[in-house]
Amino acid sequence: MEVSELGPRGRLTFPPAFGKRGSGRHWRIEPGVESRICQTIKLCAKARDSSGVTMRTGVYFCNCGTNIAELIDAEKVREGLGTAGDGAAYFKTCRFLCSEEGKGFLEQDLRDEKPDRIVIAACSPRDHEATFMRVMEQAGMNPYLMQMVNIREQIAWVTPDPEKAVKKAALAIKAALWRVALHEVLEKEEMEVSATVLVIGAGPSGLKAALTLAEAGRKVILVEKTPVIGGLPVLYEELFPDMECGPCMLEPLMGEILHGDHAENIELITLAELSEVAGYFGNFLVKIRQRPRYVETGTCIGCGECIEACPAAGLNPFNGGMDQKKAIAFAFPGALPNVPYLDTELCTRFFAGSDCTLCSAVCPAGEGVIVYHDRETLVERQVGAIVIATGSSLYDCAPLENLGYGRFPEVKTAHEFERMLASNGPSGGEILASSGEAPGSVVFIHCVGSLDDEHKPYCSGVCCQYAFKFNHLLESRLPGLKLHHLYREIVAPGKEAFSLYRAARDNPNTTFVRYDRLADIEVSGEPGHRQVRVAAGTAIDADLIVLCPAVVPGADAEALGAMLDVSLDRFGFFEELHGRMDSARSKLRGVYLAGACQGPADIRRATSQGMAASGCILSELVEGRKLRLDPLFATVDPAKCSGCRVCMKLCPYKAVGFDSENGVARVNAVLCHGCGTCVAACPAGAVKGNHFTGEMILAEIEGALQ
Amino acid sequence: MNASPESLKGEPDPALAAEFEPRIIGFLCNWCSYAGADRAGLSQTPYPPNVNIIRVMCTGRIEPLFIMKAFQGGADGVIVLACHPGDCHYKEGNLRAAQRHALLARVLEQMGIERDRCRFDYVSAGEGEKYVQLITEMVDSVKRLGPLTASSGGDHP
Repeated sequence: MEVSELGPRGRLTFPPAFGKRGSGRHWRIEPGVESRICQTIKLCAKARDSSGVTMRTGVYFCNCGTNIAELIDAEKVREGLGTAGDGAAYFKTCRFLCSEEGKGFLEQDLRDEKPDRIVIAACSPRDHEATFMRVMEQAGMNPYLMQMVNIREQIAWVTPDPEKAVKKAALAIKAALWRVALHEVLEKEEMEVSATVLVIGAGPSGLKAALTLAEAGRKVILVEKTPVIGGLPVLYEELFPDMECGPCMLEPLMGEILHGDHAENIELITLAELSEVAGYFGNFLVKIRQRPRYVETGTCIGCGECIEACPAAGLNPFNGGMDQKKAIAFAFPGALPNVPYLDTELCTRFFAGSDCTLCSAVCPAGEGVIVYHDRETLVERQVGAIVIATGSSLYDCAPLENLGYGRFPEVKTAHEFERMLASNGPSGGEILASSGEAPGSVVFIHCVGSLDDEHKPYCSGVCCQYAFKFNHLLESRLPGLKLHHLYREIVAPGKEAFSLYRAARDNPNTTFVRYDRLADIEVSGEPGHRQVRVAAGTAIDADLIVLCPAVVPGADAEALGAMLDVSLDRFGFFEELHGRMDSARSKLRGVYLAGACQGPADIRRATSQGMAASGCILSELVEGRKLRLDPLFATVDPAKCSGCRVCMKLCPYKAVGFDSENGVARVNAVLCHGCGTCVAACPAGAVKGNHFTGEMILAEIEGALQ
Repeated sequence: MNASPESLKGEPDPALAAEFEPRIIGFLCNWCSYAGADRAGLSQTPYPPNVNIIRVMCTGRIEPLFIMKAFQGGADGVIVLACHPGDCHYKEGNLRAAQRHALLARVLEQMGIERDRCRFDYVSAGEGEKYVQLITEMVDSVKRLGPLTASSGGDHP
């Protein structure tokens, strides 16, 4: 490891040998390591010699007023760099480099001095690295040819001994000089993008996202799994906190989506699910599988004549199976789009081989509106971004045998009870116990599965509020009714939730019973005369029992997450890029999150999230503006890559793909976040991390150990 | 600086410990631990100046080679500070770093480099005090171990 044989040193001094301290003997490290270190030195030398002239590196020392100058003597630091300046062609100080004056000085000085590299000794690069990089760009210098040294936060402010501070600062600048010599010119590459957005799920958050984007002139593909749009609240007639009617509240939004001024920007695909995704941010190719509706949405006038004529019927899933619906039917009265759909599980043509055409025969819009030979189709679209707005689901209460759900008709989930309260629901809005009479006593069981380590440890956030809404509705519709709330915790945050809770507390007919464990609750008794008992407490008579189940991830969240390569959190909800600061983005660039798919959410939060996701997309993915890629990504040298795929397994962003034709890994620069995990892991040294190459870091280490 | 092997193995020579200023390389990730070091600076809490910081975007970038290289180049200690588990800006680079450190520490030990010379810990962006404490402890423990020389540990022909 003789450095002298590496040729002229230029202005930088190189270490005579490693391990020069102590006994002077070298550490024996396996040969490969040794050779890579030697290579580094050669590269250092080469970087200096390749241009044929000595590299000019300038050092700018910011006094930061007195913040640095009072504690570190710049002149002594300059002396500490050695007589040859340790690679620095010049050393200049500035009072405030980040001030307008300082930036002006830097820009002009870069033009005058024309350095090949610069080192800026100032504050933390977390403060002003970007500022100085912009100045460099303005001065016509590539901004990546700079290394910042943090002599304020990490030296001046924490090293009271001035001599030691000078020594440490000089060493840090030396390390930076060594490193910066190896810096490479990096350019931000540009890429064409598609500005179209795919929104998955047409609940409040998806609708709001789609409309916000469409109003901005974006093309939106809005995919909905069910035949109707509006999500869950469209099924609920009165919503907390102010009893606003759900369908009425969503009607204007849905009207805008279907027929508004910007509706032409929205392609709504109902009865459809994402089946395949390829590509990345800016350029996704998506395949959407659309199940047949058997009714032409374009020509159907929504009169409902076909429904009257249909002879087949079965349980209605939109009313929790509490009533029947025809084989051809609207999901519920007032459902949008205003087009019925045909359920092949109920229509005799499909499961019994009949040739019934009664619905088509009565259709006033003529033949061809009802299409019996309708087939599943695969829709292919090119999109730049994807919004996941698939919502959530409710915890399955059937396995909780002590609560009697599924066994006793008196026990309903909150969702079923909402439908019972709705005027377009199975009972036309009448509240009925299983006897067919109005109930005399209703028990609400809160926290069914929530705040419970045996089920879901988190609070579902919305249950208390809708339970107290039920309390209010029942009290006003059936005055004098006995109401009981069995709860583990009451949670009613924010500026609006307290009023319904206060009203329930103030109601003399309402009682509150706190329970400890869900298993302590026992629902028993005879049909029509149920009792609810908490632990050894007295039995409460109940004609109707309403369970408030935990809000849980949607049934298809896992499959969708796997398809999109978007991670789920430990509960199975979609995981945000950052829970507080970046909750509308997923960890995969180009995939955004809105609404309850990322955790329990009320309508306010869901719609806000929809708009937040749209905002992110509008600012990140601009029509006609090419995507500028941060050059700090990793690249694979195919000549060195052995195709072991370690990098693929480690990449947290699925940015490394495999080129099976050539048997090598390939990094997608759009998806790469530049963490360098793959660079460190590659056993062949085939992956290079831009701006943080092994050579640069090794040179910095060497410099710091001078 | 020429510590006898005896003094390294046993109680440190107080005179030597006072004189010896170890050289330590600190690998910090840009998002948590480096920000934690900045936080220590903002609160102007003094700590020993022996650690020279190498900033990487993520501790997942740190190759065992870097650490070996630091020791080979004359460092008496190396400290790697990562984001807390679950806080990594890049999801899990810190966990990769922890795994690599666990293996490397064993290799270093076989080479005669004591465990205390190569430490791994977690510092969040808000933990300025923890940063100061870790650096102080690191410098103290390396001072006690004395300078790293080829003869300070195992037998290397």
